[in-house]
Amino acid sequence: MISRVAYAFRETWASFRRNLTLTVAAVLTSAIALLLVGATFLIQRGFSNLLVQWRGDVEMIVFVRADATPEQISFIDGSIRQASTVVDANRLEYVDKIGTYEEATRIFAGDPVTLSLLTPENVPSQFKVVPLTQDPALVRSLADQFRTLPGVEDVALAEDEFEVISTLSGFVRNVTLVMSMVLLVVAVGLIWNTIRTAMFARRREIEVMKLVGATNWFIRIPFMLEGLLQGLIGSLVACGGLWALNAAWTNGVAGFKPGTGISSLVVPSSYLTTTMLVLLATGALVGAVGSAIAASRFLDV
Amino acid sequence: MIRLEHVTKRYSSDVLAVRDVSFDIGKGDFVFLVGPSGSGKSTLLRLINRQERPERGNVWVAGRNVNQLPESRVPHLRRSMGNVFQDYKLLLNKTVFENVAFALEVIGKPRQYVQRQVPAVLDLVGLAGKEDRFPHQLSGGEQQRVSIARAFVNRPLILLADEPTGNLDPSTGEGIMGLLDDINGTGTTVVMATHDHRVVNAMRRRVVQLDRGVVVRDQERGVYE
Repeated sequence: MISRVAYAFRETWASFRRNLTLTVAAVLTSAIALLLVGATFLIQRGFSNLLVQWRGDVEMIVFVRADATPEQISFIDGSIRQASTVVDANRLEYVDKIGTYEEATRIFAGDPVTLSLLTPENVPSQFKVVPLTQDPALVRSLADQFRTLPGVEDVALAEDEFEVISTLSGFVRNVTLVMSMVLLVVAVGLIWNTIRTAMFARRREIEVMKLVGATNWFIRIPFMLEGLLQGLIGSLVACGGLWALNAAWTNGVAGFKPGTGISSLVVPSSYLTTTMLVLLATGALVGAVGSAIAASRFLDV
Repeated sequence: MIRLEHVTKRYSSDVLAVRDVSFDIGKGDFVFLVGPSGSGKSTLLRLINRQERPERGNVWVAGRNVNQLPESRVPHLRRSMGNVFQDYKLLLNKTVFENVAFALEVIGKPRQYVQRQVPAVLDLVGLAGKEDRFPHQLSGGEQQRVSIARAFVNRPLILLADEPTGNLDPSTGEGIMGLLDDINGTGTTVVMATHDHRVVNAMRRRVVQLDRGVVVRDQERGVYE
């Protein structure tokens, strides 16, 4: 058993060195494809940071002053519910100061100056309003009405805040997804071709192996390992690139004036780690698929 | 040991390789398959080690129907037979020792077993002391001895030889035939395809003659004609 494992790794390594040019091409392609996939994830996460407070059809947010009394809050609540023809009262959500603070830590993740000024005591609480109507004018007139209520700090409308971002985010996502899918297919193809070439270079050995009764799996596994390794190395390169990209972005954003909103495009490092793990898994999968197709099709040499 | 029952093999619609071939080969037999090029000798060998499957008929090896064997069992069938070819099929980047050891390593034999068996079989074929040579440093006859060592190192029940003397001069060929005779003496069944009438006439063993895919003669202690 040990001799078999040692054999597989020895052969994998030998073949790796023999086909260095093709291997480098396959590795780089999968690296670029995976880097794009990773960047797509991070960009989407950045956009979703911006949009986090508008999740779930929320079209209007009524911010309540931090120093509002409980009576004022319940009055505001009542006023919103009264507009039952425009507002979906069942889906009306009140986010208290602690909830708002948590939301803010996400929005201002890349803007530590602003974030440091906020505490769970000085942030506003908020009512998230889901309208029943599709008519923006109706929602807007309601917003003007709420703005005058005692204890209300401000009313924000989704229309003003994020429609542009939302459209932009969708466009960017589609473009990067299509590009990375195409590149991933190219990466599978290149790995497939590398493995096929490696098998062709060793067709005499494969012929002898088959004649002396080596099992197909025994013959295949070094080649499949080789493809897997190519995918994995590609994804490691992609992870490095993504890390560098994210670090540069985070540093660059820190230079912006606080409160411009750009800072919320910064992605937390835990999300970066998850994305890198996804890239590693995808890279391994791409390598395994490419080499498995080659190894099963070109065994009859 | 080997039984062919009405075996027919066609490579394409108009190329009939063998037609309705039937004969038995007993354990420990030495059989020559003779006939001109294209008469179907090599095809019969390829049917026996299941590089090919017959279109009709059955091939039995050691009690198993070869063409009904599932793909996963084919390696085990092949481990019970050794193959020797006219062009040796040695791996040029491996030494003599490594070439022979390769046959054991790829079927998962432990290292100690390989270290013990390979020198023994190299001694048997008369290549002791040449373990570290590469194939291009050997004569044709020596290369064929390496390939026989590789075929025999796993002590197969059957040795299939396809024109093993085809590339060798007569005296070197004689040496190879002596070696195959020795291997046959250990109880290994030997089936050898050849059109070298000198070796057939010298050995006086069973001769199965093929002509355009049909058996035209099956004779004990035969000659080439």
